[in-house]
Amino acid sequence: MTRVLVVAWQRFLGARLGGYNVALCGGIHTGFQRLQEQMENTESVAPEVTANQSKSDFRLFPPVPGQGSSLTWSGKKYEDIPIAHIKATYNNTHIQVVSPENLPFARTSCGTEGFRNAKKATAIAAQTAGIAAAAKACRKGVSHVRVVVKGLGPGRMSAIKGLTMGGLEVISITDDTPIPHNGCRPRKARRL
Amino acid sequence: MSHHLKFIARTVMVQNGNVDAAYRTLSRILTVDGIIEDAKRRRYYEKPCRKRQRETYEMCRRIYNTEMARKIAFLMRKNRQDPWLGC
Repeated sequence: MTRVLVVAWQRFLGARLGGYNVALCGGIHTGFQRLQEQMENTESVAPEVTANQSKSDFRLFPPVPGQGSSLTWSGKKYEDIPIAHIKATYNNTHIQVVSPENLPFARTSCGTEGFRNAKKATAIAAQTAGIAAAAKACRKGVSHVRVVVKGLGPGRMSAIKGLTMGGLEVISITDDTPIPHNGCRPRKARRL
Repeated sequence: MSHHLKFIARTVMVQNGNVDAAYRTLSRILTVDGIIEDAKRRRYYEKPCRKRQRETYEMCRRIYNTEMARKIAFLMRKNRQDPWLGC
C-alpha cells in the first residue's frame, strides 16, 4: 500500500491537482479507491476555487525540472536555490547550507554553538545552531533555501524554526530519513 | 535519496512562509505512509520472534477496532430524532 501511495502522489504531480486540498480533506485515506474518489471530488470542486486565484495556484509538491513551471524566488528557479541539510540525530543536530552545485556556504552544529554532551540533544540547541547557520549563510548572500531533514531527533523541527528566525526564507521541506530496504543490521535492542 | 531523483518524493512546499503548517503536513504524510514508525522501529534490531508477535498483535488490534467501529456505527442508527413524536 505504501508503494501504491507513492505512485499515487507522483501521479497527482503530473495531473496538476490541488494536492493541498487533498492533504487537508479530513486525513489522507490510504485506500486507493478512496484516493481516486477524492481526486474526482477535488476536480469537480476546482472550478469554484478559480475565483480565489492565489489559493488554487499553490501546489503542495515541488516543481519538477522537466515540466516548465513559472515559480521563481528572487529570480531563481526551484533547482537553483541553495539547500540546507539538517541531520537530526538523537544526540546532536548538524546543519549545513550548500549551493545547488554542492559548494558549502555555512556549517554549524549544536557542538559548534558551545553546547556540551547531553545539552546538544535538545531543541533549543538545534534552534541556536539554526540561527547561527542562517546568519552565516545570509552574510554569503543566501536568501531562500530548500530544507532537507535527515533523521528523527529532538532538533528536527526547531532547526527549521531557527533557520527562519535567523533570516533565511524556507521555501520547501524535504524528508530524507534513510530507510534501508533491510540493509545493515542495527544494534541490539536495549533492555532497560 | 542519492540514487533517486532529489526533491521529488517526501517534499512539501511552504505557503506564505508558514513553515509550521508545511512541517505538520509533511509529518502527517509521513505517518500515514508509515515511514516515521518504520524509522523508529529500525533504530534497534527487532528479532524475528518479536516481529512475529508484534504483527499478530497489530492484526488482532486492527480486527477488533474495525469490528467495534462497525458495531458502534450500527448501534448509532438508533440515536435519531424520535419518529413517533407525540404518540
